[in-house]
Amino acid sequence: MTIRCAQATEISEALKDGRWPQGCDPELRTHVDACRSCRDLVLVTQIFQEARNKSGPTERFDSPGLLWWRAQLRRRNAAVERVSKPITVAQRFAVLVNLLVVAGFVASQFGSSNWLPKWAGLSRSRAFHLETFRSLAAVNLDWSLVLVIPTLGALALLSGVVLYLASDRH
Amino acid sequence: MRTTDTTGEYVISRVETGEESQAAKQPMDSDAFTGFYQRSSRPLWAYMARVSGDPALADDLMQESYLRFLCASRSDEGEVAHRRYLFQIATNLLRDHWRRPRPTPIDDVPEAVFALSDHSSHTHSQMALGPALLRMRPRDRQLLWLAHAEGYSHREIAEITGLASASVRLLLFRARRKIAKLLRQQGSGDGTRS
Repeated sequence: MTIRCAQATEISEALKDGRWPQGCDPELRTHVDACRSCRDLVLVTQIFQEARNKSGPTERFDSPGLLWWRAQLRRRNAAVERVSKPITVAQRFAVLVNLLVVAGFVASQFGSSNWLPKWAGLSRSRAFHLETFRSLAAVNLDWSLVLVIPTLGALALLSGVVLYLASDRH
Repeated sequence: MRTTDTTGEYVISRVETGEESQAAKQPMDSDAFTGFYQRSSRPLWAYMARVSGDPALADDLMQESYLRFLCASRSDEGEVAHRRYLFQIATNLLRDHWRRPRPTPIDDVPEAVFALSDHSSHTHSQMALGPALLRMRPRDRQLLWLAHAEGYSHREIAEITGLASASVRLLLFRARRKIAKLLRQQGSGDGTRS
């Protein structure tokens, strides 16, 4: 099976340049009449070129200025998203670490004796205000823990940023 | 330094100043885009409308093609390369569209959608092209349009569609033979139309 006739390139060029058929050799025209592949090439190319030239009206298209500004807006939004992404990732990481610390703290308190009855008694009392809460904190919360949790949170935030920047660089 | 080459004056001046050479590598600005859009929008729309068979879809995908083209912020590689890149984006968007589940498969699109708004200016062969394209596979429509309407070479079509250049040659040959047969069957082809 012959995929491409030897004359096909010359005929394609003539069709592309608008030289077909008047601007071509009579021999080439005779060849096209005899060669099925070249006849197909001429027929299909002429119909497709005509279809391209008679394609839809340009009134239906958006203005290029509008497209330009929409593209600028999209680029700006993408840039903002790219800049804010490490902050979002770090925040999520920090929340996760804080939740783990709180969960660990609660678990440790459950492990100790008579912690839950105090909460139960507190919820029953009418005076559920700051003083009561402070008294509870005085019983179980160590001040060092109050300092440790925010510190861990800050460290988590920073490590999240560092992790993101390191991965982004790769 | 000047040369007698037809394009030499422009090239040499860019080399001499350096600044213009840097400017040539900048992404397309608004004015340049307007000119490029005016020259490329109609062929791009025709490609998408004919290949998809859906003028409304062509409208949507054309907008998206230009937006992605602008957001890609490629350096100034010349109009030919820009146009090829634009067709590559459009081809990918069409492919994505066909991959998505849709209520109306492309093969079920009625023939009427292939008819463009200006019926009066269509010749008999043009009226036959829509139904003939409808019976071709989407990939064949793409290859035929890129080769015969846009005049791209096999290598350029391979770059746009992601196919191998040798495959493009064979697929295009088969597609051309099939659509020529369809066109003749519908009475539009009178041989060489010379």
